[in-house]
Amino acid sequence: MNSASFDPEALVDAMAPLLGLTLTPESRAQAILHLRIAVSQAELLLSAGLDDADEPAPVFRP
Amino acid sequence: MIAALLDGTAGAIAAAVTSGAASARETVEAALARIKARNDALGAFTDVTAERALKKAAAIDAKRAKRDSLGPLAGVPFAVKNLFDVAGLPTRAGSKINRERAPADKDATLVQRLEAAGAILLGALNMGEFAYDFTGENAHDGPSRNPHDLARMSGGSSGGSAAAVAGGLVPLALGSDTNGSIRVPASFCGVFGLKPTYGRLSRAGTFPFVASLDHVGPFARSAADLALAYDVMLGPDPHDPAQADVAATPVSPLIEDGVAGLRVARLGGYFARSAEPSAFAAVAKVARALGTGRAVEFEDAERARAAAYLITMVEGAALHLRRLQTRAADFDPDVRDRLIAGAMLPGAWVAQAQKFRRRFCKRALELFREVDLLIAPATPCRAPKLGQKTIVLDGKEMLLRPNVGLFTQPISFIGLPAAAVPVWSEGERLPIGVQIIAPPWREDLALRAARFLEREGVARAPVARFG
Repeated sequence: MNSASFDPEALVDAMAPLLGLTLTPESRAQAILHLRIAVSQAELLLSAGLDDADEPAPVFRP
Repeated sequence: MIAALLDGTAGAIAAAVTSGAASARETVEAALARIKARNDALGAFTDVTAERALKKAAAIDAKRAKRDSLGPLAGVPFAVKNLFDVAGLPTRAGSKINRERAPADKDATLVQRLEAAGAILLGALNMGEFAYDFTGENAHDGPSRNPHDLARMSGGSSGGSAAAVAGGLVPLALGSDTNGSIRVPASFCGVFGLKPTYGRLSRAGTFPFVASLDHVGPFARSAADLALAYDVMLGPDPHDPAQADVAATPVSPLIEDGVAGLRVARLGGYFARSAEPSAFAAVAKVARALGTGRAVEFEDAERARAAAYLITMVEGAALHLRRLQTRAADFDPDVRDRLIAGAMLPGAWVAQAQKFRRRFCKRALELFREVDLLIAPATPCRAPKLGQKTIVLDGKEMLLRPNVGLFTQPISFIGLPAAAVPVWSEGERLPIGVQIIAPPWREDLALRAARFLEREGVARAPVARFG
């Protein structure tokens, strides 16, 4: 993961139309802030060294 | 006499109503009068179901006149976070948008079970919008306020639940906890709270937030009251697909068993940094009372919190995406913009977070081979001031909303049962909570320890004097 080159402004501007979201300038700025926080959390998670055999937690019982 | 009864425990009210020392009707009337007198200051109740409550009270008094069995919660007034379905009310879940929903046609399962045990519903309680909150503030209904200091937060998202119990409006309330929403307000308002094991109590008839992490549980001013409520809410419910098929033992018969023979340890590492001294002082006090000087590491707790954080953002966004598209202006901006960011996160991150969840759970089970109970702070600070946006932890200023749950998130991430117990330091006006964390399905151990701490005078939940 290379968060140094991550551009949250570009992500928000690209994703908002795909998701059908119309953002006010205030909302866009806050979403960008929260994306930055999420990326720092993801960096920590993705360094966990998970492997192919790790099963996810939820189990669906049909 | 009724005033003293309302300041006491649910157990004492049930005993008084069962013996005839008090009627259900006079108990409910007194509780309704308290709500009327105190709720404007507290902002705890958003709906008061007075007519329904008086009808139920009359039914209980009639049953007593016929010498019928009344149930273990006979005449006990209670209220529920407004994400629980209450027949006749739209389940607003703290939002503006949801109040346009049709009124619920029946009560949530846990409301039904409490009433079947004789308890009497008095209404619905304020909460942070859509439960994405640790403050107890609400952009639409105003904040629920901390009864111990009205200028401070009740904590969220079950803020109204904790405020109603700490303010003496009801002795018992229900809330929900996805990342700490029972334990955080219990800590700020100085009441006992129980987040049971994930999958233990039915969530049927509650408005969801994060299906992977949502729990429901009680607040009270005594550990025995938590056990009383928990016991009557146990049992399978085909309407909650996340409920686990695990036999449950009622806790009330064991509540006075104490902690002799239990191996207790304080959580070190991640749980011993990034908090104000008051949080660690409370943990130390509890550790001393439980006779332990032992500290253990919960490896990867910070990573667990990160994983919970991401699952919450993404599942929350998925739940609300349609509303974000069509009703963005009707959200609380603080909630909306986190959800918008969540909608934009890569799906692979959440899949990895769910894989990590199982790995972290395995680590917890290994830890519980060596200990029976773990102790950790519930919150990194006492109740902040209403409107406060940041907190300083370890000399670093950070956003308050995402960080109040630092110590609760890794625990609920893997569904461990935890009781929050209120601790007061000498001369301090504000309490702070400590988590007593047990292995999965061992709510009995957490509640026994909570009761022990209460008996020893280390944990207590007095009704706040305010106004």
